[in-house]
Amino acid sequence: MQRRTFLQGLAAAGALGSMPFGALQAMTQTGSVSVETLPKLEGDLTLYLGRGEGGLYENVLKAIEKRNPKLNLKVRRGGSAALANTIVAETKAGVKRADLFWAVDTGSIGVVTDAGAAKPLPADLTAQLKDGFQYSSWSPVTGRVRTLPYNTKRVSEQQIPDSVMALADSDLKIGWAPAYSSFQSFVTAMRILEGEAATKSWLKGINRNSKKYAGELGVVMGVERGEVDIGFANHYYTLRLKSGKPDANVALAYTNNDAGCLVNASGIVALSEGSLPANFIRYLLSTEVQAYLAREAYEIPLVQGVDQPQGLVSLSDLSPPDMDLRKLADLRPTLNMMRDVGVL
Amino acid sequence: MTTTLKRMSALVFASAMSLAVVSLAMVSSRAMANGEIGDHVNNLHAHISEYTEEVHWLESKFGSVVDAYAAKDKSLKTDALIEYWEEVEFHSAIETQFVPIYASIWQGIYGVKMAIDGGKSLSEVRKEQENLNHALWQALGAVKLAAQYQKKGLVDVVKTTEKEPTTGPEVIDDIKTRLDRVVAKYAEQLHEVATTLVHDTYLQRFEGVEGDLIAKDAALVEDLEKDFNVTLPQAISKNKGVDSVRAVVETMQTKLDRARALLVEAEKSRKDVF
Repeated sequence: MQRRTFLQGLAAAGALGSMPFGALQAMTQTGSVSVETLPKLEGDLTLYLGRGEGGLYENVLKAIEKRNPKLNLKVRRGGSAALANTIVAETKAGVKRADLFWAVDTGSIGVVTDAGAAKPLPADLTAQLKDGFQYSSWSPVTGRVRTLPYNTKRVSEQQIPDSVMALADSDLKIGWAPAYSSFQSFVTAMRILEGEAATKSWLKGINRNSKKYAGELGVVMGVERGEVDIGFANHYYTLRLKSGKPDANVALAYTNNDAGCLVNASGIVALSEGSLPANFIRYLLSTEVQAYLAREAYEIPLVQGVDQPQGLVSLSDLSPPDMDLRKLADLRPTLNMMRDVGVL
Repeated sequence: MTTTLKRMSALVFASAMSLAVVSLAMVSSRAMANGEIGDHVNNLHAHISEYTEEVHWLESKFGSVVDAYAAKDKSLKTDALIEYWEEVEFHSAIETQFVPIYASIWQGIYGVKMAIDGGKSLSEVRKEQENLNHALWQALGAVKLAAQYQKKGLVDVVKTTEKEPTTGPEVIDDIKTRLDRVVAKYAEQLHEVATTLVHDTYLQRFEGVEGDLIAKDAALVEDLEKDFNVTLPQAISKNKGVDSVRAVVETMQTKLDRARALLVEAEKSRKDVF
């Protein structure tokens, strides 16, 4: 059924005749595929790229361009949120400048999809993604999980509650970075999952026994130094610290089925119809790009069949909450609440 | 006049010597200039004589303010020092080409202004005036050197939109330039702007490269984290003075040089995507 739907889609796009057999075969499978089997990219594409991960995304783009000499890729760079707003403004004005938007956070993706600027993606493309990460109007690229880095000299794993809400009532000294965007997305998830009152009460509880840091790497390093027992941070900071300092006094704990183990994602949106933007996205979901980002940036591959970065529990062993990540775009009530409580 | 020319030559020479070492920093600051971006910053060579006139004019105007103070002129308003500086096109020429000296000019202006407003002795005010004049001539030397680079096509065109760095080493270069601007904004007495710039530089730039760095040198990242989030913001909020803020920034820039080398090394050892 899926194959038939996909072939109908291709015929409608008039693209069937131009596809090499390998590409056709690859595109009717689920799971990751090698770039070797993907169609060549030809023509003009404009990508709005949200900044993040130093030069790694740039390396991916350069590799795609090198492999596809007939692709004329123009890139506009900026903060994800600013670019999302630009796309919305351009859409309202009826001026389309971007064909694709690759953002580091789903909140920005949500702004664009809510504005009706996103074009539907082929079903076979979204089918490559792991369960829970398949969306018709955008594609996650890689993920990051919320974790609880803890100091292994000060706390045992058994002392750590498996509910993020319970942490507000614990005696543990906690490190956090309320001004940091990933933390605010996490609180937004909590607000959506647990409600306003519970989240407000949680913020007050944590605030009583916490130390603030500017960013989440600072949180992880504060945990490692023993300034705090435990912290809130995306997983990759701890993995990177451990890779440079294997004997660092920090390990990762995870909560269970709540915002504390939310898996957020970077993602991409096609803003133009046609096979070229969708095929560009296929390159980002290829085995090679997914493995590269996992290896170099410690990001979590969200395509089926690609290994996770070392040191992280398997995604299948985590129990992230079931929620549409685009809802994380609803940040304003979160910020208002954090200001009300006095943590911002 | 002869003395002035001699002094100018000496300062220009000194500037040229020091700038040769840091010429890369000139391919830089861009975008965030207060002044208008136009021919006067993108065709410096054609404007050098105007800039020289402006520096003479500024020296004379600043001198007249100090002379009025010496004459105990009741109508003296030290805000005029800022107004004179904001009036000249030379302002954006140096701001877009070499931010550290731009910061020194602001430091000099406020040095004179605060000495007068604080009722300091004439000799102390004259000393501040001398520092200010020195900064002006040094700036002219920097702009002349930049004009030569520009003529040879060695520096980018100054644009009103900021160019995003795309590689780790480029990000570090951008951070260093932004930190120079922090000193300039602090010297301009815009402390909140300076603090916001530190915060934005951390979130929008340093955070993008620290992941790669921490695997290479965790202690260095920890050090820079503290600099960005504690040492530099505190130097600004406690109003420790331009020299102290500049010292913090220069220490950070040395650490960032080390970070840059690590990122270059990391990029070399990285496997290809495909």
